[in-house]
Amino acid sequence: MNGSQIALLSLLALFAFYIVRLRSTAMDRLMYLGLALAGVVLILYPEWTNIIAKLLGIGRGADLTFYFFIVFCLFHFATTAATLRRMQRDLSTLAQHVALDEVAAKGEGQRGG
Amino acid sequence: MAATWVVVPAYCESAMIQAVVTALRRLGWKVVVVDDGSPDATSSGARLGGAAVVRLPINLGQGAALRTGFAYALAQAGTRFVVTFDADGQHDPEAVAALIAPLASGAADVVLGSRFLRPGARDEVPPLRRLLLRTATWVGRTTTGLPLTDTHNGLRAFTTAAIRRMHLSQDRMAHASEIQAEIARHGLRCVERPVQVHYTSYSLAKGQRSVDAISILWDLLLTPRRSRS
Repeated sequence: MNGSQIALLSLLALFAFYIVRLRSTAMDRLMYLGLALAGVVLILYPEWTNIIAKLLGIGRGADLTFYFFIVFCLFHFATTAATLRRMQRDLSTLAQHVALDEVAAKGEGQRGG
Repeated sequence: MAATWVVVPAYCESAMIQAVVTALRRLGWKVVVVDDGSPDATSSGARLGGAAVVRLPINLGQGAALRTGFAYALAQAGTRFVVTFDADGQHDPEAVAALIAPLASGAADVVLGSRFLRPGARDEVPPLRRLLLRTATWVGRTTTGLPLTDTHNGLRAFTTAAIRRMHLSQDRMAHASEIQAEIARHGLRCVERPVQVHYTSYSLAKGQRSVDAISILWDLLLTPRRSRS
């Protein structure tokens, strides 16, 4: 394992830690904002990707950009999945309340017993 | 007996539900059928059989249907015990009384039906099903430390106090493992009682397919438990 691989793996570990521990809506938005700003900067100064890539020992700037793209996708999947889970849970609670309220309104509690 | 509600979660069970409810009612049990958003006549069949019916507006899964049934039963005056019972006719209505006995005597908070406790019972379970159930049971024993012989049996009995303490969040089939974990977490007193499961071509077609084991694992691993207090 070389230095760049260690750097990238620790980046992924840090990312996993963020997903599990530090996530909040505000932090998510900061992450999105930060990534968007990084994108703008790299469009304006494309050669910077090469410089950073050299520092990390990755070689080409295009590879670095691709790695960041992967991390961004993982981040997006994770936030979307969490949102969907929350929605599913809320929907399930809501449906149960609707069903039970309907029974109470109809006075069906008298049946079955 | 008056203090017991039998909760029957049902999805697309119009063929069997009326007979199942009628048989339970004939023995004097109060029955609530939770229709899990079935597009067919499950609700009306259950009503004809004489059950109270709670109809979920959308299909949520068996775990959510059971939670709804629990909420209904707990809201009824005087409820002491709640029994869960499958809608497809695989359970014997006569078994309900035997399941409640340990609760009524104060010997247990939870009673779980096991299809493997009866002598010679293992031969009645189809081989692939048996392998899967054995694996699920082993996983359950290893993770919860409860010495159970059958973890995915739909026939269970709870005291209302036990239900109030259990925190259930799994919507689909992983609720069976979740119930086991909650029993262990709260140190609820739990015993097993032998029950017969009638595998008919109907119940095998209706029930869990064996590949659903993958979905159960998926739900357990990827759905984080709600934060605990």
